[in-house]
Amino acid sequence: MKESIIKSSVVDKSKLKRGGKTAIGLVYSLFRLIILLSIGFIIMYPLFYMIVTSFQSKYAFLNSTRVWIPSDTAIVKNYKVAIDCLDYGKALLSTLKNEISSALLQVVSCAVAAYGFARFNFRGKKPMIFILFLTILVPDMILIIPRMVNFSHLDFLGIFGLINKLTGIDLRLNVLNTSWTFWLPALFGVGLRSGILIYIYMQFFRGLPRELEEAAWVDGAGPIKTFLAIAVPSSGVAILTVTVFSLIWHWNDSLLCGIYLTNDFPLAMTLKDIETTIGIKYNMLVNYTNPEAMAYLMAGCVLFVMPMLIVYIILQRWFIESIDRVGITG
Amino acid sequence: MKGVKKLRGIEQLKNHYGHMFTLPWLIGIIIFFIIPLIQSVWYSFAKISVVENGIETKFIGIDNYKQILEADPNYTKWLSSGITSFFYTLPLIILVSMVLAMLLNQKFVGRLFFRALYFLPVIIASGVVMTLIFQTTSSDMGSMGVSDTYTSNMFSVNDIIGWLQVDGKVAEYVILVINKIFDLVWQSGIQTVLFLAGLQSIPSSLYEASKVEGATKWEEFWFITFPMLSQVTLLVAVFTMVEIMTNTRSTIISNIYKMMSSGVYDETSAMIWFYFLVGGGLMALVLFLYNRFLMKRWE
Repeated sequence: MKESIIKSSVVDKSKLKRGGKTAIGLVYSLFRLIILLSIGFIIMYPLFYMIVTSFQSKYAFLNSTRVWIPSDTAIVKNYKVAIDCLDYGKALLSTLKNEISSALLQVVSCAVAAYGFARFNFRGKKPMIFILFLTILVPDMILIIPRMVNFSHLDFLGIFGLINKLTGIDLRLNVLNTSWTFWLPALFGVGLRSGILIYIYMQFFRGLPRELEEAAWVDGAGPIKTFLAIAVPSSGVAILTVTVFSLIWHWNDSLLCGIYLTNDFPLAMTLKDIETTIGIKYNMLVNYTNPEAMAYLMAGCVLFVMPMLIVYIILQRWFIESIDRVGITG
Repeated sequence: MKGVKKLRGIEQLKNHYGHMFTLPWLIGIIIFFIIPLIQSVWYSFAKISVVENGIETKFIGIDNYKQILEADPNYTKWLSSGITSFFYTLPLIILVSMVLAMLLNQKFVGRLFFRALYFLPVIIASGVVMTLIFQTTSSDMGSMGVSDTYTSNMFSVNDIIGWLQVDGKVAEYVILVINKIFDLVWQSGIQTVLFLAGLQSIPSSLYEASKVEGATKWEEFWFITFPMLSQVTLLVAVFTMVEIMTNTRSTIISNIYKMMSSGVYDETSAMIWFYFLVGGGLMALVLFLYNRFLMKRWE
């Protein structure tokens, strides 16, 4: 009801504005359009540059009019080389196995923790919230080395270590270079940038009306059922926002996998090393004087960006709406 | 009376479930956050040698810190460049993203298109691609460069600065800013999203009231929009500061990461801890100033 009133008043206002278009208003909207377009250009330029460069052949630099429309193209060859250098199939599989799976795991585990924080008052909540904000502030760089060391002797709170000391049986597994290094933190809701994800969920759950959940509670539904049947179905927007962020951050992560894995790298990692790979496999130096190598490099970038770009194009309508409604800023 | 007691019992029972929901997270936090955090402090005060299965640590006091600050010629250089970029990037990103969000919040034809376009950096602004594009385009490229030469050619900044006869230091800063425009716009994606969400949550009745009172656009911004965004600005500031400090493309982080990958664990731990203590101090300073001078004004 309230919303509809606000909406109608907004519509009225815009109608009024459109009705009373003055010269100043016209100049202003023209000015705005110019600014919007030029910033749009700034945003699109690297993308255009990437795509155009990825099309060029090695003779491209002989032609100076080539900046926007590639004249000498060698698309198929460039992309073949880039796929080869990125080890695309294998790397994509590794990304799916390590990164995307843990991104989706985080969507679930963070929701559970955030629901606990948002809906219940329990002992020790305040210090836990403090630690939650600490996880947002403390960067992964600090934790990455100790985590790596711990992953080489996986131990839950020193229990296995104690067993080892008492009986001599070493139960501590070396999970380095396996997907568990990504899955385990994600499973507990402390994976890549989980603090921010929990924060987004928390703000959203706080904004949900309590009445429905209370009604379910009175009707005898337990907390888990209330969470699954009432809270989760009504938080589609929050889930979408968190899923998109989680997917993007995991897709782009090259920091963790560079330390935790020693072979079978995900896509972000093979792209990071693509300059060296091109150098070794095709015996050329990657810099601007070599249009061929630049084309391979940019083709690699396009191949890396494309999957996420497609996901974004499909989801963008809902995603942009959801960001408005999710109330991150609380 | 009885009913109240019963309700309290339910509340207590309910609150017990809070533990249930947060228990997995708590276990995870202890194993994957608190313990590694303590270990990391320990590593920065230790000599680490890699042995057959794992590592061996030996306490050596503050030698690592002494080493990086006195003996290592590079670290202080990286540190100062990191701090400088902190100071000029933070206000600029906040400014750029606030202006972009305010533009996108207005009503005009094609707004949805521009929104979708402006959120694009959030999707592809990954460290890896950015490094590849901006490295190869800005530092080596001639007329095609994105970041440096491209913008200065486009706006012929040097000419304008020479013509206005501004002070050399100011001119340097202006050129730096303009050269960083690409970088900045590409870095302020999420911040724009946050500001936009904040703008949407300001009730339109406030603006209507101010219109009745005859407020100018500037007054509207300064007395309604800006104060109403104070919480969001704080959130954006914190987020941006963390992003700047952990930006994998910054000199200090990329160099430390290189050392880490090559197996130097003790010195790098000291390097990161020192860097983030300095960074944390800066963050605290910024937040203090923000509270002191802006939040107070609105109360």
